Formats: sequence, C-alpha cells, structure tokens
Amino acid sequence: MATTNRSLLTHGIPTVQRPPRNFKALISFTYFIVPLAIIVGLWQLATTLAPSPFFPTPFAIVGNLVRLLFGGDQVLTDVFYNDFLTTVGRMLAGFAIGTAWGVVVGTAMGLSRGARETVTPIVELLRSIPATATLPLFIILLGGGDDMRIVFIAYGVSWFVLINTASGVGSIHKTMLDLGRVFKISPARRLFTIILPAASPKIFAGVRIASTAALLLAIVSEFMLATNGIGFQLIQAQGRFQLLSMWSWMLALAILGLLINTLLDYLEERVLSSHKLSRAKI
Amino acid sequence: MAIATPARPKRATRAKKKGNTAAVWRGIAGIVGLALILEIVSRAGIVNPAFLPPFSSVMTKAITLWGDPIFRGDVLSTLLTYVYGMLIAAVIAIPLGIVFGLSRPAYRATRAIVELMRPIPPVSLIPLVLLVLGAGLEMKLVIVVFAAVWPIMFNTLYGVNDVDPLAKEMARSFGVNRFGVIRRIIVPSSAPFIMTGIRIASSIALIVVITVELIAGGAQGLGAFISRERAYGDAESYLAVLAATITAGILGLIINLAIGWVERRYFGWDSTTREGM
Repeated sequence: MATTNRSLLTHGIPTVQRPPRNFKALISFTYFIVPLAIIVGLWQLATTLAPSPFFPTPFAIVGNLVRLLFGGDQVLTDVFYNDFLTTVGRMLAGFAIGTAWGVVVGTAMGLSRGARETVTPIVELLRSIPATATLPLFIILLGGGDDMRIVFIAYGVSWFVLINTASGVGSIHKTMLDLGRVFKISPARRLFTIILPAASPKIFAGVRIASTAALLLAIVSEFMLATNGIGFQLIQAQGRFQLLSMWSWMLALAILGLLINTLLDYLEERVLSSHKLSRAKI
Repeated sequence: MAIATPARPKRATRAKKKGNTAAVWRGIAGIVGLALILEIVSRAGIVNPAFLPPFSSVMTKAITLWGDPIFRGDVLSTLLTYVYGMLIAAVIAIPLGIVFGLSRPAYRATRAIVELMRPIPPVSLIPLVLLVLGAGLEMKLVIVVFAAVWPIMFNTLYGVNDVDPLAKEMARSFGVNRFGVIRRIIVPSSAPFIMTGIRIASSIALIVVITVELIAGGAQGLGAFISRERAYGDAESYLAVLAATITAGILGLIINLAIGWVERRYFGWDSTTREGM
C-alpha cells in the first residue's frame, strides 16, 4: 500500500513522511512572513485611509521599483544598467581595492612590532577622521570622475580591514609562528598557510563591517557631482519631490544590502569552517 | 554573580611600562616623520602646494580657526548632535536588545523587519528625512539614531544570550523576581557587550553626523562648514577644508580614546573587551 502511494504521489509523500523537519521550516517561514505581512498590511491600510505625500503605500513602492528596474521593452531598463549596476560596480571595485590594501598593510603592521608602534598614532588619527568628511578633499584632488569615487570608497573601507588584520595577525600565538620557522617553511608559505588562516576570523569581522561601509560610501560619493548611480537618483528625486522614487530606491538598497550580507554569511561559513572545528568555543 | 563585580585593573609591571615608553617614542617619531615628509614634499614643490599645502600651515589654520566663533559653533553643533543621537539610540536599543535576547519568539517575530531595515545605508535616508522634517536638529537626529541603533541592539542581544544560565537560575532560586534578574544579573554581565556596541555605534554615528551636515545644505555643523568652504574654491578656503577635516579627526580620536578608557576602566574584567584593545 505504502509503496504504491509513494509512486503515485511523488511530490506529496516526503512532506507527509518527515513532519518534524518540515514543520520547523514552516514555523520559521511563518515567523518570517507573518510579521512582514502584518506590517505591510498596516502600512497599506494607514496610507490608503490617510494618504500622505511623504508615505506612499507599500504596493506602490514595490510596483514603482519593479517598473524602474525591470520595465520597458528590454528585460532590464537603462536605469538598471546606468544607476543600479554602476553603484554596485563602484562599490565592489572600491571594496576590493580597500580590502586588499587593508590586508597587506595590516599584516605588515601585525608582524612587525616596530612598524606597528610607529604607525599606530598615524593610523589612529587618520582612521578617526570620518571618511565622508574627506570626500571634498578627494573631489579637489581627483576630480569628479569614477576613479575618485572608487579611491574614496577604497580609502574609507580600508581602515576597518587594516585594524582588524593588524590585531588578528598581532595576536597569533608565538608558538604557531615558531612552528613554521622550525619546519623551515618559506616565508611566503608561512604567510598563506599559517598567518593569514590564523588571523582570518578577525579579518573577516573587518571585511564584514567594510562591506556595509562600502555601500554607504558609494551612496555618499554619488551625492556629490555625480551623473548616475543610486545616490544620484536619490538626490534627483529629492530635487523633484518624487517621494515614491525615493522610497523605491531605499527598498532597492535594503535588498542589495541583504544580498551582500547573505553572500558574506555564506563565504564566512565556507572560509571559517575549519576554524570553527579547531576551536569549538571562541 | 561573581562576574558582575568589576575587578581592580591590574597594575602595569615595570617591564610593560618600559615597553610602553618605547612605543610612545616610536609613535611620536612616526607622527613627526610624516609631518616632516609632508612639509618637505610641499615646500620643495614635489607636489603642487595648491593641492598639498605645507603641514605646518594646515595645523596653524586648524588652531586659528578656533578663534572663529562660527567654527566653534559648528563644532559644538556636531558634538551635540552626536551626543544626543547616541543617548537616544542607547535608550531605544538596549531595552530592545534585552527583550529580544530574553524572548526568542519576540526576536523571531521581528527579525524579518529588522533584517530588511538594517542594511539600508543611513545616509540614503537623508533626502527623504530632509523633505519630511527640513534641515534641522531633528533631521540629523533621526538619521543618526537610525544608524546607531543597530550595533547597540545586536551587541546587547549577544550579551544577553551570553549570560551564564546558572547565574540566572541561582538568582531565581534565591527568590529574585524577573525584573530583579534583569537588573542584577543580565544587565551587569552583558554590559561589556553593550559597551562594544556603543563603541561601534559611536564611530558610525560620527560619520553619519558629518555626512548629513555635508549633504544637507544649510544645516549647522562641521560638515556644513567643510561644504561651505569647499564652495569658495580659493587656496585659503582649501586650507580651511583641510584644517576642518583634521579637526574632525581629532574630535573622533578624542571620542575613541574616551570610550576606550571607559571600557578599560569599568569593563576591563571582561575578556571580550580586553581583546579588542
């Protein structure tokens, strides 16, 4: 009986046969969807009952975003390429350069005590300057082009990675470094097989913060002297009093941020899995 | 319970003190060296002095700017916005973090909304809030609070999750009520985590304050000062931009040092704080 049932209802059976696991998934799904639905519902209700130019209805916001990015004769609109992808590209370029620079300098600082003590005050002072306050300087020095924006993002992002790398590399246990020396492993291999892996949890914590900062800095850099990008669109919408577009772009940023977070979660899981095994409790 | 009583910070040993003096000298050498290089590069004309004015003249400008009451007012305005923003954020975020830490259903129910709101860069709120509230203190505060709430809330949450369950149960079995447990066990033992959250939020808050002032024209503050001076475009105002940027850095440095000191002085007993030094 059971076998025939199984072959007949190929998709239905597994869900019935393993209730606990699916039940759990159902609960998390409910926890995710119900509060969201309630909030969206309340918002929709409030905005339809008392329309305000400042607070559009959620459906209008989502609809407008879809129209902005995916409408038109092509699948993806010009706005998608010119603004959305441009911002993502600038952000990624700045993030990559800043992270690389931060890891390199941070490792050098972490390995040499003399270097660390010499540059720490400089690093502390420069790091304390709110990165966005330096944007006018970058504009004066490099002009208003894409390269300026990427350098600006890279500069702002690098501090988080640098500080964390320096502290991570600096706090590696001496025995681990000596181990590499005793076994006569070449310095390059020591760097990639001992030092960087040992410091990776801290580096990753820095990269985490840097990724959030990269998006923020990309937006800020597009507030000034830009001709495209999400930040530019936000400022344009403000000038034209298009509140609906503003909300839509903010939704786009939320989704973008969520995407980046999820991606980093996944990466962290993969990169640091060996670390979790070696130290069950950190 | 024992965790909750702060231990007296250990006295630095003589050897450590000696190491510290060397570090201080190296640090001074680093700063002086950089200043000298910048000065020489500019004076010798290796880099166009219009772009890189001599370091000494930037520092002189930074000091003389303090004589300018408008500049002082701008710095004060930035500082006040930062302090108010941090206070409001802490008042909102710490209770929320405790509630979410104690009640799993509450946390799971709000998670979807939190996860959707958290990744929004606070600066992207500027245009909207500017239209709704106009360029004033409220506008700045809304954005700063939005930025500073998340790190404090999440660190409080981690802190509450990290509380020794044995200590909680012991307090309960001694007849301490639910509120007493929060006050006597949960808040003290998650305090170092909360402090970490405040440290992270503090640097974000300062960035956001300055950005808001920079972008939202007409507002008061250090960022507005930089934005105004940049608009003039002559050599003297460029010097003022540099000087104001350095002042912002010194402001940030003082705040960082103050928070670091508080952490070490009052939460030095906790390993998570000590590690972050």
